Amino acid sequence: MLMHEVLVVGGGLAGLMAALNVSGRADAAVLSKIYPTRSHSGAAQGGFNAAMAKDDSIEAHIFDTVKGSDYLGDQDAIEVLCSDGPEVICELDRMGVPWTRSTEGAIAQRSLGGAGFPRACFAADFSGHVVLHTLYEQILKQGVRVYPEWHLLELLMEGGRVSGALVYDLPRARLEVIRTKQIILATGGYGRAFAKTTNAHANTGDGMAIAYRAGAVLSDMEFVQFHPTTLYGTNILISEAARGEGGYLRNARGDRFMANYAPEKMELAPRDVVSRAIFNEIKEGRGFEGHYVHLDLTHLGEALIAERLPQVRDLAIRYSGADPARLPINIEPAQHYSMGGVRTDIWGMTPLPGLLAAGEVANLSVHGANRLGGNSLLETVVFGRRAGRKVAELAREETWPSLSEKTVKRYVDPWNALLAAEPGRRALDDSTFAIRRAMTTLMTNQVGVFRTGPELQDAVDQLQQLKERYQKLGAPIGRQPFNYALMDYLEVGYLLDLSEIIAQGAAARCESRGAHYRMDFPQRDDQNWLHHTFAKRGKKGPEFSAGPVTITSYEPQERGY
Amino acid sequence: MEVVLKICRFDPKEDILPFFQKFPVRMEGSQTVLDALLLAWQQDPTLSFRRSCRSAICGSCAVRINGQPALACQTLISKATENGDLITIEPLPHFQQLKDLVVDLEPFFESLRATIPWLILREDYEGWMSPEVAHRLESPATCILCGLCQAGLGETEEIKPATLVKALRLSQDPRDALGMHRIRLMQVPAEVLQLFLRRLPEKCPKGIKITAAA
Repeated sequence: MLMHEVLVVGGGLAGLMAALNVSGRADAAVLSKIYPTRSHSGAAQGGFNAAMAKDDSIEAHIFDTVKGSDYLGDQDAIEVLCSDGPEVICELDRMGVPWTRSTEGAIAQRSLGGAGFPRACFAADFSGHVVLHTLYEQILKQGVRVYPEWHLLELLMEGGRVSGALVYDLPRARLEVIRTKQIILATGGYGRAFAKTTNAHANTGDGMAIAYRAGAVLSDMEFVQFHPTTLYGTNILISEAARGEGGYLRNARGDRFMANYAPEKMELAPRDVVSRAIFNEIKEGRGFEGHYVHLDLTHLGEALIAERLPQVRDLAIRYSGADPARLPINIEPAQHYSMGGVRTDIWGMTPLPGLLAAGEVANLSVHGANRLGGNSLLETVVFGRRAGRKVAELAREETWPSLSEKTVKRYVDPWNALLAAEPGRRALDDSTFAIRRAMTTLMTNQVGVFRTGPELQDAVDQLQQLKERYQKLGAPIGRQPFNYALMDYLEVGYLLDLSEIIAQGAAARCESRGAHYRMDFPQRDDQNWLHHTFAKRGKKGPEFSAGPVTITSYEPQERGY
Repeated sequence: MEVVLKICRFDPKEDILPFFQKFPVRMEGSQTVLDALLLAWQQDPTLSFRRSCRSAICGSCAVRINGQPALACQTLISKATENGDLITIEPLPHFQQLKDLVVDLEPFFESLRATIPWLILREDYEGWMSPEVAHRLESPATCILCGLCQAGLGETEEIKPATLVKALRLSQDPRDALGMHRIRLMQVPAEVLQLFLRRLPEKCPKGIKITAAA
């Protein structure tokens, strides 16, 4: 049996930042389903928000975030996010992050959606990538133990607390138990529940689903972000930085249609507003071929595109065949980010003793009903750091929680049975591929940007049927190294659990707020719905309750851009 | 169009030697070899290959396509079928095959330690850097640690390609106290280094160019 005082699950920005802040204070290890440098944090392009400039202020950043959240964000958590921002950016700078610089040599900042100031620190359009690799360098420096391609299977509970983890070593095809004092989940989002998503294949919500099954609370899962600009067809992300640097959105008539939706902010309105506008243009017949609109960068000039948006240019050329310096890019909105997640306090602590969460997997909530561009990268490093510091303190103070052989056996036995099962047990007329396809299509078609009560209820029913089909599948295949079919089987199970909670939460919330837009309830309803949605696992599926929103400075107002 | 993938299979528990298996798949020219691999996987779920971002930023799907090391997600079907509709896919050369297209990455990631792979901050750094200097750091900082350089250039005792890219990136950083000492500590002969820098851009999926070295 392995032992680590602190186990960080997930090797992206939040996980690595957490592990770094534990190292030297307590024994920490990182467990990651893919090599840390392959984490999807690396695909983030736009930047990290922080009020660094003289004319900007932390107060302004707080207000923009509260308003962007459609007043569902918890203002105490938002205050922490924005206040810690500048300090963390400087800390990353001293670790060696190659930020793009202003002519004066300061860390340059660019505009992103919903912000009243150019506030995103960036490195061309590789912002997540360079910080991820810099943090990985620091992990090597600190000698933090990494378990690459190991998958979390279960949180081991004894005496009402998390006392360890059951994990699967994919390369060696074996189960391992790791005893822990504290576990930090930093496993990211569940984008692969949707057919159209910017997310990587690895983003299957493992941590959220496993925490939920162990008794943690998931909060605000119905709030799903759809990014306005993804390549038509493949849904590869085209950064908001493309609009931040001055790009236009145009419909088939050539009009900058955002003038009709957000006359002040135009293309730099928040993502929920822009995604709805694009779909509305398409719905009303002003899309191209009835399916997409244009992101036009041609007026920016080749030099600026090469300097500020080199990755966007490469992606557009390679995957859509058009050079954005010369031709507009065909774009459509697609699932991008989960505002909801494992409910935590402002230190990342969950109600389950021994379990914390940070980054996209967590819900503090700093994003409320809609996240602003540049705030998720900031969240990963600010709250990864805080969670790391918190557990270091906790791990030093406490003794090892007990984890009896009996408990371990209770968890391990079913997994041993699954791994030993003969592939022949598989229902041959059905497959995880077929179930995954049905689920992702359903989520994109019926739990997307525009939602209605009947469609959501139908989605809930269909998901129930898919879960029943899934239960009948049995073990996908025998034991072997790099058994991706087994992982796929588990991941589809996580995604089904989460999809059910998302769809049920969306069906229940009879108002429109941020990214959750109900065509049958198009107004925000603060009287009845200014609260979080908590979901806890019950005997017959998720049980929902309302949680209070923390309001410190800003009472809800009408939200216009 | 109808394409045939000829994929190198090897299960250490079952097979003494690797062998090839053919998978017919229907593809569009604008799709990628990774898309084709995902279809092959649906035909035979025991097929193992790494993938994640599908947009050439994570480096997981580095394999050998028609003899050349490449990222599967970055290689269009139209390109891979220029010389016929058979696409041969093998694991990366200069890496040990563990199963099918999956190779052992442990020695590759371990090899970063042949340099000091982190910045050692100068005491007099005050937070400023000229935009021109910062811009020079960008290209080597786009390294995704995919291993294609090692697969394409091979690895001798003097030179571990990805490690050298990391070392050069850090040594050119004005914040770094070690600077070019980092390269000298690696004891890479000057002519080997120059040859490496000349050949790197064509082997690297990010086309990394490092100027003003040594």
